[in-house]
Amino acid sequence: MYFEIDPKIGEDKGLSLLREETHRFAEEVIRPAARELDRMSNPEQVIAKASPYWDVLKQMKKLGYHRIFIDQDYGGLGVNATEAHIILEELGWGSVGLTTAIGVDQIAPAVASLFAMGDVIEKIVKPWAEDTEAKYHGCWGVTEPDCGSDYILVCEESFLPHVKELHPGEVRADKDGDGWVINGPKSSWISSAPTATHVGLHVTLPPHDSLANGAFCIVPLEQEGVAKGKPVDKLGLRDDPQGDISFDNVHIPDDYMLIRPPFYELRIGQIICVTSCFMGTIFTGLARAAFEEALEYSKNRVQGGKPLCEHQLVKQKLYKMFEKVESSRCYTRKIMEHVWERIYTERTFDASSRHALSAQIYGKRSAFEVAYEALQIFGGYGLTKDFLVEKLFRDARAGLIEDGTTEVLGLAAAYNIVQEG
Amino acid sequence: MAVFPSKEWVEAVLQAAEKSEKYKEAAKDWEGDFLSIIEGDEEFVRDLSRREVMEGFISFLDMMPSEARKKYSGTPMGDVFEKKLGVPLDTPADKFSMDEMTSMVSKLSAEDIKGACTYFWSDFWHGSVRAMKPVAPGEHEDATFKLSGKYSAWKLMVSGKQDTIRLVMSNKLKLEGDMSYVMKHMKAVVALTKEVFAGVPID
Repeated sequence: MYFEIDPKIGEDKGLSLLREETHRFAEEVIRPAARELDRMSNPEQVIAKASPYWDVLKQMKKLGYHRIFIDQDYGGLGVNATEAHIILEELGWGSVGLTTAIGVDQIAPAVASLFAMGDVIEKIVKPWAEDTEAKYHGCWGVTEPDCGSDYILVCEESFLPHVKELHPGEVRADKDGDGWVINGPKSSWISSAPTATHVGLHVTLPPHDSLANGAFCIVPLEQEGVAKGKPVDKLGLRDDPQGDISFDNVHIPDDYMLIRPPFYELRIGQIICVTSCFMGTIFTGLARAAFEEALEYSKNRVQGGKPLCEHQLVKQKLYKMFEKVESSRCYTRKIMEHVWERIYTERTFDASSRHALSAQIYGKRSAFEVAYEALQIFGGYGLTKDFLVEKLFRDARAGLIEDGTTEVLGLAAAYNIVQEG
Repeated sequence: MAVFPSKEWVEAVLQAAEKSEKYKEAAKDWEGDFLSIIEGDEEFVRDLSRREVMEGFISFLDMMPSEARKKYSGTPMGDVFEKKLGVPLDTPADKFSMDEMTSMVSKLSAEDIKGACTYFWSDFWHGSVRAMKPVAPGEHEDATFKLSGKYSAWKLMVSGKQDTIRLVMSNKLKLEGDMSYVMKHMKAVVALTKEVFAGVPID
């Protein structure tokens, strides 16, 4: 059913093979596991030792998907933007929940691989990249109980004059001898927190007066002073376990503080550019999955004496869904190429945040709109657990909030648009 | 192969900048001079105990007029030459006994040269490098940017083995000045490292 509009990609045998192989994995491994995890009534089951979550995570690590965003010089997969986009769309097609797990997994080592030197590379990044048994598993500690998507605004340089209007943040790092000591709580919405061994953590620095006066560090979680809450029982993305983490006098060495002033204020937005491309792409995969489910169902389900797809109203819906999927792929791929060039190829770290944010918003919104229409085509059956479309709809809905609400993401982009013209 | 820092290296860098269309394009909007400070470390002692590196370093210092070299007197670098190597730094280059000096340097430790710094000043202006030369301590203190760090970190940067942003963000090099300006002109910084510095292999 997939048709590649770009001949440079469609006619490239290597890329076609990459798509086919990734798709096979998404279809045979990710999707069945995601459905199983989704149906678990207690989220504790998702993170239990015997859970398929761990098997999928190990398999993804064996295939190197945890190394997509790690600098090739330090063990990264060495893919380019197009290849990354192809892999992520297919994984997202399988499930955005489990793909989120492999995405947040690499945030801390990827940042370290781009900006750090010395011990943190040898002790964290390289063994992380080499890991195929999920001995290392990362999460991304951003939001806090009193500042949720606010952190997205802080990452937009154009918003900084207004930063004092926001809560100053609760997770604080203070100098302690040669290293740092960390205190405070992160919110319940940290993807993979219940399963992670390390967190890429946003903290504020003395005098702790503003979220912009912050830093990004890597913190091993298997140490005294770290407390994790129970995984949250939620509507969608149930295969992406989320939970809170709090820190009580947790120590890290100085070189684990990866981005600090003035670079935090000036460059943390570049991380959001990367994660935004990631999110936009995986949700494009979800949109395609929902579209394919609806198209297939509409060809087989007979109503009014003919298949649903022969009804003009349904045909029109299918067209609109197709248009959204294709435009979402084109846009997120283009922005991924731009961000990749500025961050991984040229190392100028000046990717356009407004475009990256819009890629995330567009991908997520398209996924929700397509999943909504897909469920509508299924009618009553779409509401049952018998069909995948019900999960896709719930996941797409959760996506409008996860990784920054689409409203705040749009607001951050708007500050950039207005300032930069 | 040039020795860093040396007269040969400076000349090769100026030539590389002049030839590089990529650098000129990337740095076409850049305005700002740099005061660079190279702090001696273990690797500096090790390298300096090799005759060709010592010769290169002396040729670098010799680019300064004698009055400027005199200003190193009383600084840790001046003391290294005067007290540990037995020759004041303002001694003319042809009067240095390279073999004797390298032999003496090989007996020094990083502790012996602690705080010993070499200063050089570079003036980058709209894609051209208008000047690059060693200077005396205290000169060009009003430079737009100040970049300082250990010799080993400098070598990583000028050899192109590490990008400047990584060295600065991991505190190996310290950059003072309008960081926002630097971030907005990262293309120029990257091109300087990749196209100009890396184009001059160092020994």
